[in-house]
Amino acid sequence: MSNETKKLNGFTRLYRGLTTINFVGRRKTWFTISTAIIVAGLFSLGVRGFNLGIDFKGGNSWEVLAPHASIAQMTQAVEKAGLSQPTIEKLGSSTFQVTADLNNLSQSAQTQETNKVVEAMAKVAGVNATQVSTSSVGPTWGGSVTNRALEALIVFFIAVVLYISARFEPKMALAAFVAMLHDLLVTIGVYSLFGFQLTPDTVIAILTILGYSLYDTVVVFDRVRDNTGSVLKSGDMTYGDMVNLSMNQTLARSINTSLVAILPVLSILIVGAYILGATTLQNYGLALTVGLFSGAYSSIFIASPLLVVLKERESRFKELKVRLESRGQRDVLTPASAALLSGEGAQRAVKISGGEASDAVIQARARKQKRR
Amino acid sequence: MAAHVGTKKTMVVSLILTLLIAFGSLGATLALGWGPKLGLDLDGGLSVVYKPATKTSQANMQEVVNILTNRVNGLGVSGAQVNLQGKNVVVSAPGVKDARAVLQAVGQTAQLYFRPVLCETTLDKGKLYNVNPTTLPTCDSKYLMTQANLGVTVNSQAVAGFTMNTMSPDPKFGKVASTLPVYDDPQSRVLLPLLGAPTSRYLLGPAQMTGQSIAKAVAQEDTAGAWVVNYTLTGSGSKLWDQVAQANFHQLVAIELDGVIQSAPVIQPTQATFTSFGGTGQISGSFTESSAKNLAIAMQFGALPVRLIPLTTQTISPTLGHSALVAGLGAGLVGLALVMLYAILYYRALGFVILLGLGATAALLWAIISALGHTAFAPSFNLAGVTGLIVSIGITVDSYIVYFERLKDETRAGRSIRTSVDRGFRSAWRTVLAADFVSLLAAVLLYLIAVGDVRGFAFFLGLSTLMDIFMTWYFTRPLVVLLGRRSGQSNSALSMAAGLNSGGSDNE
Repeated sequence: MSNETKKLNGFTRLYRGLTTINFVGRRKTWFTISTAIIVAGLFSLGVRGFNLGIDFKGGNSWEVLAPHASIAQMTQAVEKAGLSQPTIEKLGSSTFQVTADLNNLSQSAQTQETNKVVEAMAKVAGVNATQVSTSSVGPTWGGSVTNRALEALIVFFIAVVLYISARFEPKMALAAFVAMLHDLLVTIGVYSLFGFQLTPDTVIAILTILGYSLYDTVVVFDRVRDNTGSVLKSGDMTYGDMVNLSMNQTLARSINTSLVAILPVLSILIVGAYILGATTLQNYGLALTVGLFSGAYSSIFIASPLLVVLKERESRFKELKVRLESRGQRDVLTPASAALLSGEGAQRAVKISGGEASDAVIQARARKQKRR
Repeated sequence: MAAHVGTKKTMVVSLILTLLIAFGSLGATLALGWGPKLGLDLDGGLSVVYKPATKTSQANMQEVVNILTNRVNGLGVSGAQVNLQGKNVVVSAPGVKDARAVLQAVGQTAQLYFRPVLCETTLDKGKLYNVNPTTLPTCDSKYLMTQANLGVTVNSQAVAGFTMNTMSPDPKFGKVASTLPVYDDPQSRVLLPLLGAPTSRYLLGPAQMTGQSIAKAVAQEDTAGAWVVNYTLTGSGSKLWDQVAQANFHQLVAIELDGVIQSAPVIQPTQATFTSFGGTGQISGSFTESSAKNLAIAMQFGALPVRLIPLTTQTISPTLGHSALVAGLGAGLVGLALVMLYAILYYRALGFVILLGLGATAALLWAIISALGHTAFAPSFNLAGVTGLIVSIGITVDSYIVYFERLKDETRAGRSIRTSVDRGFRSAWRTVLAADFVSLLAAVLLYLIAVGDVRGFAFFLGLSTLMDIFMTWYFTRPLVVLLGRRSGQSNSALSMAAGLNSGGSDNE
């Protein structure tokens, strides 16, 4: 059986609960990767800052559906209408977006110029002037939206830390908080590095991602809590190995959920934004895609390993680790074997080959699990 | 240890009821022809956020809201909303065809001023000079619209009931541009155009009265069928107006709103001597129905207690909105299809449970959103909301995944499928509650704190999270448990094992 297990590919092993990936042991690698990404992002932020959309820096934009017009035609028309240095983009297959800043004009002059550009664009597109969408944003608007979002973010962080502390434990709250901070920093960094445009939609999307990342983390921690009450009590596993087992147990779920979450978001980005050309969807899709990958990564590679670092400083888990290590033998359980151990009638020694540590023969001291 | 999470009978009932409610309510909304109340980014329309120019009291801002609401309603725009968000006033009018026309009426945010007309001026072609009001030249005495120069005489033979001299415009102002709104100070003289006739301009003196003296103004047809504006003054306004009118007897008084002269009537031209207005008056002239109505609205509602500065203005064309809706729904459906495909590939028979569950959830959500569209409570369904729903597909499916992975664990432990479905559900339920609570927490906080689109997003995310909890308990639990119990009895085609032949070593 041992040989047969070896031959199985990763997916089948995942499907059958035979994975023993050492997430916790290689935590230094994960922490280094994340730190590198975050430092690079923050460096870029310090040097280049953000590519802010008009909602943040103020400005004006116009949009019209013009399937048969060219960028050159549109540029010529709006410049003739009096726009200096406009940005003209074609979104999707037929939406034209013109951006410029009229905030140094007086209010009535702004209205006049806006209407002139509307007429010019409608003429190029061959439609009625009511078919042109306009947007004008004063220079202070974005700031107030961001402030409210930051307020929401801080309250959310506090509420989450309180909730997890109460429902699970403070150290889990801290680990989950760091994972969320990680996602926030990674997303911000990626936006600065790649020069993606930051809009209020991006801010919404980032808030969602934090919720999602946390949701992911909570599912893993829920399992850790379960195992703390059962597997850990046997005294045969260090806290780290127990968390690692929990992660392997929830791995299939983590991967499935992340995939299921990312599929619709990719659909927003590709179908909604690039094929059909809806700007708002593009803003959401991009931030959600970046954030979901980061969120899926952080709940596996940051939150749980960090929890182990925090918990193994507690003397009882430190002692447990020292004791088990002095015995020179560590249990590496696959989710499937852990399930067998916990099952009724599992009070027998099981010989299990576990993935990477497949040469180790494990004498599991199984006891009947007490369920609360 | 309780062996079951419910009796067979209650579970069959809950399953049937859930499906009936979900698809029944969808059928009902479709039959009623109800649809969601679309946000303006999907339906087209107008949205403006105003900020008070100076610090002002909450009561003043509430008055601003009332005045703007009246203005919007006065234009006959349906479904428009004006409300306070923090210190800002948000005006939104979804579904409006010509959004910029509405914007212009609502955007008349300056105060209404009553100013004496000094003289008429010309408007030359070519380059104009911007002039600060303090350096505006004065009118030549022969062009001044004084009582003597105008020579208003009562004449019952004339159509209007009076005659007056035709005054020629003062050519001195030909090259001077009209006063910019930033210089429109009630204390100083201004040079402004007449509404609807940009080449007729008047030099006006400092304001003698503001719109706050007007209590009410209505556009009406007089006995001859001509449109007039009848107005009523407030108590203190009545006295003030009598003073202003007496000082300007047989002269022109301009009613100015936002740098445009709405009307410049002659005071009591059909009377030989001044008589008190007694708190009411009438403006007649060559009004059309719409110009009379606009003047009435401007007179009654023009007086805002504070000047407003637009922070952000958006007008969205209905066609662009429609294309965004198609994009959003298209993306949602493709996403849903991909997720369903994945669920069936990975979980096989159990995947169909997800399929049916997602279908029922979607039906129920659409029904609820459509029904909420008929209340004032729910935020309108906008692109942010669509995104919220699309994101929630992941959260909904996750509940199934958590449960099914637990099921696998239980069967790996060597338990029968029959026991596994019960045990698995109980541990999965706790996880689902804990995780959904976090999602709800995020949604509620966002809804309470954030502004604008964020609220719509939070609302629909929260709604679908609640739906997930509901469906997990009333749909997934009974269906999977019933299937599990059945598979214990027979090898039916829908045997749970189809999705669960995953017990690691035990199937070798």
